[in-house]
Amino acid sequence: MTRPSGVNPRLLLRRLAVARRGAPTGSADGPPTPGRGGRPPLGAERRSGAGGSGGSPPGKQSGGSSPRTITVMRRSRQFGGPAAGLVIALLLVLLLQGNGFVSTLVVDMLVYAIVAMSLDFLGGYAGLISLGQAGFLGVGAYGVAIAEAHFYPPWAAVGIALGVTLALGLALGIVAVRVKGVSFVIITLAMGQVLWGLSYQWVGLSEGDNGITVSVLPTIGPLDLNDPLTLRMTVLVVFAVVALLLVTFTRSPFGLSLRGVRSNEARLAALGYRTGLHRYLAWVIAVFFTGVAGVLYVFVNQLISPTTMDFSANGLFVIMAVLGGLGSIWGPALGAVVIVLFQQELSIYVSRWQTLMGLTLIAVVLLSPGGFWGLLRAAGRRWDAAIARRQRDVETVP
Amino acid sequence: MPEFVAQTLNGLTLAGIIFLVSSGFTLVFGVMRVTNLSHGAVYLVGGYIGYSVINATHNFFLGLAAGALAMAALGFLLERTLITWLGRSEMAELLATLGLIYVLDDLALAIWGGSPVTINLPGFLGQSSTLPGGIVYPNGRVFILIVAILVAAGLYYLLRRTRIGAIVRAGVDDRDMVSALGINVRRVFALVFSLGALLAGFAGVLGGTVLGLYTGGDSDILLFALAVVIVGGLGSYEGAIVGSIVIGLIDNYGTAYFPAVAYSVLFIPVIAVLLIRPHGLFGRATT
Repeated sequence: MTRPSGVNPRLLLRRLAVARRGAPTGSADGPPTPGRGGRPPLGAERRSGAGGSGGSPPGKQSGGSSPRTITVMRRSRQFGGPAAGLVIALLLVLLLQGNGFVSTLVVDMLVYAIVAMSLDFLGGYAGLISLGQAGFLGVGAYGVAIAEAHFYPPWAAVGIALGVTLALGLALGIVAVRVKGVSFVIITLAMGQVLWGLSYQWVGLSEGDNGITVSVLPTIGPLDLNDPLTLRMTVLVVFAVVALLLVTFTRSPFGLSLRGVRSNEARLAALGYRTGLHRYLAWVIAVFFTGVAGVLYVFVNQLISPTTMDFSANGLFVIMAVLGGLGSIWGPALGAVVIVLFQQELSIYVSRWQTLMGLTLIAVVLLSPGGFWGLLRAAGRRWDAAIARRQRDVETVP
Repeated sequence: MPEFVAQTLNGLTLAGIIFLVSSGFTLVFGVMRVTNLSHGAVYLVGGYIGYSVINATHNFFLGLAAGALAMAALGFLLERTLITWLGRSEMAELLATLGLIYVLDDLALAIWGGSPVTINLPGFLGQSSTLPGGIVYPNGRVFILIVAILVAAGLYYLLRRTRIGAIVRAGVDDRDMVSALGINVRRVFALVFSLGALLAGFAGVLGGTVLGLYTGGDSDILLFALAVVIVGGLGSYEGAIVGSIVIGLIDNYGTAYFPAVAYSVLFIPVIAVLLIRPHGLFGRATT
């Protein structure tokens, strides 16, 4: 994206990472590519090894660190992620088969996860945390509901909803990305509240507090979303497509230079990147996918009312993203799972679940700024260190 | 015409309450660079505490003092624990205070329940007078307006004419330099954060008389405060005054004359300012 030829963004990013040492939040360190994941622990190991007595490595070697074990450990690191992903995908397909409470819960999680992931794309990669994302979920959902109430066929309603969301994203983006950091949070919060205010006060259009019900869902050929199972599977497919698209974006040159914009905008600008355009595009992408989630939301719940987009809902999406771990895409999906469980399950047993949720967020911000995904990443790094240690042991024996 | 005058007065009263809230918010941001999203929740809890004390003692002014002082204590506590633990990371502080909203709101819901309450003003303040021009107007609202003006003047004096104010203003400009000059910045921070919370709690009790106290009232007032700081500029005292008047009047005219889009009418000055001066009328670009 608008990248001057001859500059390798990955290389540039590494230089930036060095340049910005000591930046306040190191929550997002990018995907665990082998080079990055392996290197720091290796260095650390080398230091501690030099300081140690030196007697232990050969002794340990006879234990289990045969080259074969190391290969197995390497493979586990290489294929562990994809394998876990596959297992989770299969599990999701299985869970969505039932008609009961569990499948409803999972569908909720998937829809919210789309929003949380979009928010992460904006927050974790562009450094712009949006506290108005529920508002755009509402735009997508109300778009469908209002269009259907005006007798548009379901597919047209979906088109209208996505078109309106995109147009709104394009228009509001001009204002929103003029600022960053705290000001951006405040402005998106204000936008979210205004959208909420419209849904609540503009009774002629939105039916106010009661919300609008949507009873007819779209159909194409054999694919009939009015069938609950088909709908649930469609949600799963859309979730997967959005997730993979977002991951692809983050690994693309655009995603890398986007992270560069977050880390050191002045430098990127000096190199000829159009940093404002980067932020704008990230914003539009995030808003659009949130609108997609809104369309799914209204089909799943068959109702949209102002409470879906109130302040509390806006905050919940940020909590999902932060708990899961900003800058990882998958982490916020995990955060959505946790928060839906808080909302739907924990609330049955604990009446003060919101207090608990707030305290959890505070604890994560204080203790693990990388969120749950940050903990997983740290575990992965420890595993890499273990591999490296064993590798060294093997190499130093003869 | 009398209708319009009454609406203008209503808008100014609202502006008074909004000023009390947003001045604390902007002061804390200006000096400490802490975006306290739980400022609205502090307002609400302060109001509720005032309500309880008024019910127990039947003394409005005792309730006003209790709500304000309790929140000042809470602010002190928060500054010494959460804000200190988080160091200087702006975004981490913002997120932690977001978590705090859920905690405070939920506890308020547990203690005071979900039904809205209104604080009644005592005696003369609870009645109405005929203003020159034949408008009958509640004394309580005039009282709020006067109090807000007095607080604004007091804050002005504190910020512009005292040594503490000089330190605070210097802190807004260059925190590290103030610290290097041998001033105990930690103490200044604790003071400023408590003062911000005190103003919010105070505003909560006053706001409880005209706006009422209800679940979600905190996010409403927070939006007002945020709109004010966008228009006026984050961290600017003058911006808080001008912004409050603009937002208070616009919101009130909007609610009175265009009820369907009142919330969005509020957004017009916000967008206008963002397009022309992204850092607010009195704000300066930071970082």
